[in-house]
Amino acid sequence: MRELAHRLLTYEAGAGQSTEPMESPTLRVYEKLRQSLSAFAGVAAFEALAFRALTQAKSEAPGLWAVKVAAGGALQGLGQGVDEREPQIDKDKDMAGEFQPGEGGIILIARLLGLLGLFLGEALTLNLLRNAWPGAALDDHNSGNGRKA
Amino acid sequence: MSIEDKVKINKLPTGVPGLDEIVGGGLPEFSFNIIAGAPGSGKTTLAHQFVFANATPERPALYFTVLGESAIKMLRYQQQYTFFDPAKLPGSIRFINLSEVVLEKDLGAVLAEITKEVEKANPAVVVVDSFRTMVRKPESDMDLQSFIQRLALFLASWQATTFLIGEYAEEELRDNPIFTVADGLFWLRQTAERNSIVRKLQIIKLRGQDSVPGLHTFRITDAGVQAFSRTFGLKGHLKNPPSHRRLCFGIAELDKMLGGGVREGDSVLIAGSSGTGKSVLATQFIAEGIRQGEPGIVAVFEERPQAYAERATSLGLDLETPQKDGKLQILYLRPLDLSVDETMHSILDAVQKIGAKRLVIDSLAGFEMALSPGFRADFRESLYRMIFALTGIGVTILSTVEVDESFTEFPFSTYSISFLTDDIIRLRYVSIDGQLRKIMVVIKMRGGNHAKDIREYEITDQGVVILGKRLDNYQGLISGIPVHSDRPGTREEPSMDTGIEHKT
Repeated sequence: MRELAHRLLTYEAGAGQSTEPMESPTLRVYEKLRQSLSAFAGVAAFEALAFRALTQAKSEAPGLWAVKVAAGGALQGLGQGVDEREPQIDKDKDMAGEFQPGEGGIILIARLLGLLGLFLGEALTLNLLRNAWPGAALDDHNSGNGRKA
Repeated sequence: MSIEDKVKINKLPTGVPGLDEIVGGGLPEFSFNIIAGAPGSGKTTLAHQFVFANATPERPALYFTVLGESAIKMLRYQQQYTFFDPAKLPGSIRFINLSEVVLEKDLGAVLAEITKEVEKANPAVVVVDSFRTMVRKPESDMDLQSFIQRLALFLASWQATTFLIGEYAEEELRDNPIFTVADGLFWLRQTAERNSIVRKLQIIKLRGQDSVPGLHTFRITDAGVQAFSRTFGLKGHLKNPPSHRRLCFGIAELDKMLGGGVREGDSVLIAGSSGTGKSVLATQFIAEGIRQGEPGIVAVFEERPQAYAERATSLGLDLETPQKDGKLQILYLRPLDLSVDETMHSILDAVQKIGAKRLVIDSLAGFEMALSPGFRADFRESLYRMIFALTGIGVTILSTVEVDESFTEFPFSTYSISFLTDDIIRLRYVSIDGQLRKIMVVIKMRGGNHAKDIREYEITDQGVVILGKRLDNYQGLISGIPVHSDRPGTREEPSMDTGIEHKT
């Protein structure tokens, strides 16, 4: 799931340069997931998943201490931790390596996707992600920047 | 109005094996349906099967969830069923959660939300699960009746076939506007009968459709819901015309007694006490059929197919080869908790698969024991339906039944089912010359004449062998304690055992 999270962040990093430069890739990925999953499973279900994912992510990335899941599932406080500036996405690499300090956003998204995969299975999770990111190549390891070739 | 002028209602596949037959060929397109029942009765699974069978990317299904089970958990469990195709989500099947609207707004807002999603997706199928939780809110701006009517009208006009799922009790059937508005009402029940759980489905109403009335059993397996119609899937099948062909046992003397064999399409009962050779005769009947090129089915309840085939081998009958060749199927119907309809489904599947002409049910007592206790009470009625259905398609049925041996009576069956059978062959023990010997007699043949002779027989390594001519020198054979004609007034005297062993 880290690889998948990296792919989504890479995709959004590319998209953000032209469309919403002020918003971080992590937040954009998270928001898309929130919109998609809240409509699919309900706001309460998304909130519960997001809260669990954040709790898991905090144990790996203590810098996420300031991050909270607000009512409605919105994410607050990302980037406020000492080591939790937004991850620098290397657009030349598709593969995510081990988490490094400052990769809290990737960890959070990976944990969220991990929970989805746990409950729904890989096939259904990928289908939902494809629906939310129709332009992204989520399972093509050879594509560049997470975009479809 | 001529029949050509009438509107044609398309029928959609339900995706539930057996249910299309029950609803009269499929679910009416654009109908507004309720699936009701207690928790755990299979409502959601049934709806999912319908959705997976009908949703396409062009005409998707919208599955609205409300309060209760979240889509994530629902799909986690539902994807365990074999009908679940993850590739259909979310392109063809779209889950939409309405809990926020329901919790925070009124029914008018709920209708607006559904309307918005339907207009956006143009779905062929709409499901609301659970509708009951949606209308629980007491403070609604729109009254319930109006809400349901507007929802039904809107969804029908958008050419959607709709299912509302709800946990309702049967006493709620009266005075609930939702049941009045609905075109179709499917009620699922789950009841405990002694140690068994029996699931039943009833189509309480289905407008414009000739559905099969009554309670139909169903089972939930890893393939989802499977329904078993009370008409055994044979509704509309043409009855075979009466046949004059005779089916032999391959026992020359017995076939003669039967006037050349049993009539094709008859129901034959072989009654006798334990050890009289009922199963041996049944095996010879099926083996002779195979020799004559008539595939057969043996439904066994008291022993496993391998044991049955091995016993046949000891009689010089090969049941292994025809099984491999697809000419014979020995069905071992899992004991306990079966319904007759389910048993019939297995038998009919096998009959159709190999084109069976002969069917042996060995035995009725075993069949009854395999049923869930609740079905045993209806055993006679169920047998009637089963025999009528199978003989109607030209299958000749031979059933064995054990009767309590009595030396004062001559019962044909403990089930009082002789009226269900065309032909009855009775086997029994008699005491003759200090030996317990066996006699058989043809009691009844609906299709014609038969011998009235009482014949002695033995069970040998060649199967049943009828000995000599009729026993015309004994009176009272069927009492079991005959009197020799040459020694009138004397009953059989006990004799000393000579120590000679008789091969049987």
